[in-house]
Amino acid sequence: MMNISLRLRRPPWMVDSNGRRMTSHFQWLSLTFILLYLMNQVNSEKRGAPRDLKCITNNLRVWDCSWKAPSAAGHGTVYEICIENRSHSCYQSEKTNTKIPALLPGDHEITINRLYDFGNPISKFTLNEKNVSLIPDTPEILNLSADFSTSTIHLKWNDRGSVFPHQLTVIWEIKILRKENMEIVKLITHNTTVNGKDTVHHWSWTSDMPLECAIHSVGIRCYVDDPHFSGRKEWSDWSPLKNISWSPDSQTKVFPQDKVILVGSDITFCCVTQEKVLSAQIGQTNCPLIHLDGENVAIKIHNISVSANSGTNVVFTTEDNIFGTVIFVGYPPDIPQKVNCETYDLKEIVCTWNPGRPTALVGPRNTSYTLFEFSGKYVRFKRVEAPTNESYQLFFQMRPNQEIYNFTLSARNPLGRSESTILINITEKVYPRIPTSIKVKDINSTAVMLSWHLPGNFAKIKLLCQIEINKTNSVQELRNVTIKGVENSSYLVAVDKLNPYTIYTFRIRCSTETFWKWSKWSNEKKYLTTEAIPSKGPDTWREWSSDGKNLIIYWKPLPINEANGKILSYNVSCSLDEETQSLSEIPDPQHKAELQLDKNDYIISVVAKNSVGSSPPSKIASMEIPNDDLKVEQAVGMGNGILLTWNYDPNMTCDYVIKWCNSSRSEPCLMDWKKVPSNSTEAVIESDQFRPGVRYSFFLYGCRNEGYQLLRSIIGYIEELAPIVAPNFTVEDTSADSILVKWEDIPVEELRGFLRGYLFYFEKGERDTSKIRGLESGRSDIKVKNITDLSQKTLRIADLQGKTSYHLVLRAYTDGGMGPEKSMFVVTKENSVGLIIAILIPVAVAVIVGVVTSILCYRKREWIKETFYPDIPNPENCKALQFQKSVCEGNSALKTLEMNPCTPNNVEVLETRSAVPKIEDTEIISPIAERPEESSDAEAENHVVVSYCPPVIEEETPNPGADEAGGASQVVYIDIQSMYQPQAKPEEEQENDPVGGAGYKPQMHLPVTSTVDDLAAEDDLDKAAGYRPQANVNTWNLVSPDSPRSTDSNSEIVSFGSPCSINSRQFLIPPKDEDSPKSSGGGWSFTNFFQNKPND
Amino acid sequence: MKVLAAGVVPLLLVLHWKHGAGSPLPITPVNATCATRHPCHSNLMNQIRNQLAQLNGSANALFILYYTAQGEPFPNNLDKLCGPNVTDFPPFHANSTEKTRLVELYRIIAYLGASLGNITRDQKVLNPNALSLHSKLNATADIMRGLLSNVLCRLCSKYHVAHVDVAYGPDTSGKDVFQKKKLGCQLLGKYKQVIAVVAQAF
Repeated sequence: MMNISLRLRRPPWMVDSNGRRMTSHFQWLSLTFILLYLMNQVNSEKRGAPRDLKCITNNLRVWDCSWKAPSAAGHGTVYEICIENRSHSCYQSEKTNTKIPALLPGDHEITINRLYDFGNPISKFTLNEKNVSLIPDTPEILNLSADFSTSTIHLKWNDRGSVFPHQLTVIWEIKILRKENMEIVKLITHNTTVNGKDTVHHWSWTSDMPLECAIHSVGIRCYVDDPHFSGRKEWSDWSPLKNISWSPDSQTKVFPQDKVILVGSDITFCCVTQEKVLSAQIGQTNCPLIHLDGENVAIKIHNISVSANSGTNVVFTTEDNIFGTVIFVGYPPDIPQKVNCETYDLKEIVCTWNPGRPTALVGPRNTSYTLFEFSGKYVRFKRVEAPTNESYQLFFQMRPNQEIYNFTLSARNPLGRSESTILINITEKVYPRIPTSIKVKDINSTAVMLSWHLPGNFAKIKLLCQIEINKTNSVQELRNVTIKGVENSSYLVAVDKLNPYTIYTFRIRCSTETFWKWSKWSNEKKYLTTEAIPSKGPDTWREWSSDGKNLIIYWKPLPINEANGKILSYNVSCSLDEETQSLSEIPDPQHKAELQLDKNDYIISVVAKNSVGSSPPSKIASMEIPNDDLKVEQAVGMGNGILLTWNYDPNMTCDYVIKWCNSSRSEPCLMDWKKVPSNSTEAVIESDQFRPGVRYSFFLYGCRNEGYQLLRSIIGYIEELAPIVAPNFTVEDTSADSILVKWEDIPVEELRGFLRGYLFYFEKGERDTSKIRGLESGRSDIKVKNITDLSQKTLRIADLQGKTSYHLVLRAYTDGGMGPEKSMFVVTKENSVGLIIAILIPVAVAVIVGVVTSILCYRKREWIKETFYPDIPNPENCKALQFQKSVCEGNSALKTLEMNPCTPNNVEVLETRSAVPKIEDTEIISPIAERPEESSDAEAENHVVVSYCPPVIEEETPNPGADEAGGASQVVYIDIQSMYQPQAKPEEEQENDPVGGAGYKPQMHLPVTSTVDDLAAEDDLDKAAGYRPQANVNTWNLVSPDSPRSTDSNSEIVSFGSPCSINSRQFLIPPKDEDSPKSSGGGWSFTNFFQNKPND
Repeated sequence: MKVLAAGVVPLLLVLHWKHGAGSPLPITPVNATCATRHPCHSNLMNQIRNQLAQLNGSANALFILYYTAQGEPFPNNLDKLCGPNVTDFPPFHANSTEKTRLVELYRIIAYLGASLGNITRDQKVLNPNALSLHSKLNATADIMRGLLSNVLCRLCSKYHVAHVDVAYGPDTSGKDVFQKKKLGCQLLGKYKQVIAVVAQAF
């Protein structure tokens, strides 16, 4: 509020009333004074003077002053306003305001009085600029427009700057109101400067909510900030509001539509609809609704994430429909990276780049690239539809005579733009294309002319080209050539230092002298250079034929790098005493010639010829210098070759020659040869023909005065292997405790290495029972003899057991390993001394017993007679002693007492069993029972039929007791009664067993040999025993018709006349198998009887 | 009549080049001459049936491929976003005569072919990397072209009908992306529904 003081200066009526009251009493006067003052005031109001002068300005030029008119002032009142201190300027006005020019700073006296109204007081005011208010005029919006696609409001207004006297700052305040209830959503200030003329200002604002969603209103006011104005400065009034509204059609729509925004932005979507929206969601995420005017709703999304290719769907769901929009969230284009510009042909520049971070925007929103050149020319990147592996490159046509290019690659998408620059000298960025049309022409046998086509205009630069030269079995060679560029793209280069008649493969790549990149290699071009004369003569050797009459010249085909062409033939000539004689022309591929020469010292020459000419001759002397001091040495190679060494010999003036052959081949034997320089002392001989396990002969020749001398003869193997056959061995002699073995040499071809010795294994064992087990398994029962004396061909194995089967194995070995084994089973002979002792001792015992028994019987004969043989009744009356005539026919001497039924006495039989060496094993064929003498006739009353049954003893049954007895008998007691059980006897024994006999068994068996040679021994044995059987064995075979067994015609009944012991007999069966003689006996043998050392 | 899509014009030019493109084609009067440029296949109806079966067999896969490529919430709001509520879709009466059915089939295939062209065009811009979808759309459009030719051949050769009034779906070129997606989905949903009925009817 403007505060203007109105001062009344001694009004006339007030002066009169004061004079009258001063004459009365003081108190009365005081009350009267107050009363009068109040009355004067009332009268003054009624009569009227202008008051409440207020001044404002809106342009600083003119002050608009107004005052309150007095109540008495009627219509048509004219006021006079005078400014006292300004040369008494007065203004008349019929209104209660007037405009006066702006006054200078300081107090000014203003008088206002009503003209033509005399007697009215004059109002005087003191006016200062400080009491003036500066209130700008209300601004007016010239234009308010909206860009709905960008949700931007554009405001336009005039600042009316022309009204102000000088330049000053104006502050504008703009307010944005939204929705029908005019929510202020934006209030901003905007500063401008006015400079004395009217200016239209623009201001734009982008809404966070699509403008279609709600009504937006805009108002503006201003504030003039003049630092020189000391009065009160106030804001202007707000301009009238202007609205932005979108007139929706009847369809429901969602905004914004198809907008592209940056990842992480905040955005508001709204649905302009007449229907009630139930929910809203972005993608799969539900969002809370913000209600706008009517049924319109909005959702606000914060920090939105990147979209898929097809965009992010934002939908609003109503009762029966879904409305939506698609938002594309991505990134602005990254700065193009690795921008590279180069040229293939100096006609066109190709720039490539990497787009960097993906923008996640595709289709029409994808990044577009434009390549600008400093000159103003530009090219745009065209994208192929649905690219798979998009390559970012642009082609720029070069400008004539321009080498320096300043490129700017600009990338742009709806979210922004970026760019990258590159400055290049294009002549230094040449990446030539692949050279094509490679052609080769001959210059000579060692040089060719190479031509190719390289597209491009390189006339102003030099090219650096690389020629790769390959030939078979050789290291590739690279040659660099610098050539001046040409316009016609054809280039020609000579390539020399080649080999004649050689297939070369050429290929080319090029760059520029100021190297940037090599082009890719051209296709390969093969070319065969022309022939030249062979550079060397062939490598020759000679051998005399086995009969010594012919000299065979051998030579090797020239290697391709020395042949220099296709060798057509070889000329062989010989010279003697400088007389040369051409002998023959040998066509290739024959590489030997046989010459019939005498023993003179010829020089043989061999010359190789191709289509161009002949090689230098290779010469070799026919004679060989003898060497008497020659030994055959052994050597073993390294698997792929063999190393031969020798001592340096200064007498050897020309090359050493090493020849070799398979030692099993006949002379002349030559597989190959090798020449080594005369100063060498070793050579490694390698050949593809070498095979492991094959013996080769190597011969080292020294060359002396054109003559060769055999220095060393070596046999060797490249690699030794184990023999493939076993040594063939036989048993030369066998005794009871030793075996003599003899073997033969293994042939060299089957030995496959140098023989280092034999291994001889032996062990106890038989062919059937002792299977060959692993000999190297460390078995303690195997004895091994390593025979390293190769001259030894026999071996005696001693300390063996008699009559024992031994398993013998022999195998040879080399450094390559053990050969196969050969085995044999041998049984040692019987120990005869032991056998004799084993026989004599029982016989002697039997004789002694017999003699003692005889003496006793003789002395006690009366007592015996009384006791056992009382007076005998007349046998004529005894029917029991009547013999059947039919039985006794033909053999009247034999008569047997028969007692039927007959209960045999129990007789204990003492039997001995002994081991017998198997090699002369004796098998009991049949038991032999001996009958006592005729005394049985006298025992008619008590005659007993006694059967003899040899005990059944398993051969395998161990007999440890026999060992200690040294061939002594083992006593076995058998109940005679048990022998009547026929099913308990072996079938063979049943046949030989006298069925009817029982009760007695001889106490021991004596061996009875069946061979003629042993008959004498048998006789001696009988005599020595002093005891003889009482009758011939054959005569014991009687049949008793009354015997229960007599009906069995197959049975042999052996009867004894008296219960006396007899000698039993056995027969020795000679061995049938020569290699491994053994016992054929099944159950009882002398082998067991004499066995005193167990096998195990 | 809706605005003809850019993709439809070449189709019509090929099929009706003698008569111009874009104008409605009335059914030929019975007594009018009808000639085909190439003789019709002897077993035309079988071919038509096979083509319908082929379309029917692949329609669901195309539908799934399409709405999957549009992103959420299309796969989960098929009833509202992809419901077959295409109002101007040509009718089909399965119990009518063969001639009527063929004429209606012609209209349906023409409608579908044009819409499929719009969808293919939109998806190439919107989903340039969805190659399998593009392939399936192209394959379906190819079969429809063959089917349209065969139906026309049949109509012409047997019923002397050379021209059929056809209508096309809405052109989507001026619509926003969501509308394109939604209209495409609705069309393919309708296609899946209709083609099953049509294939059954033949």
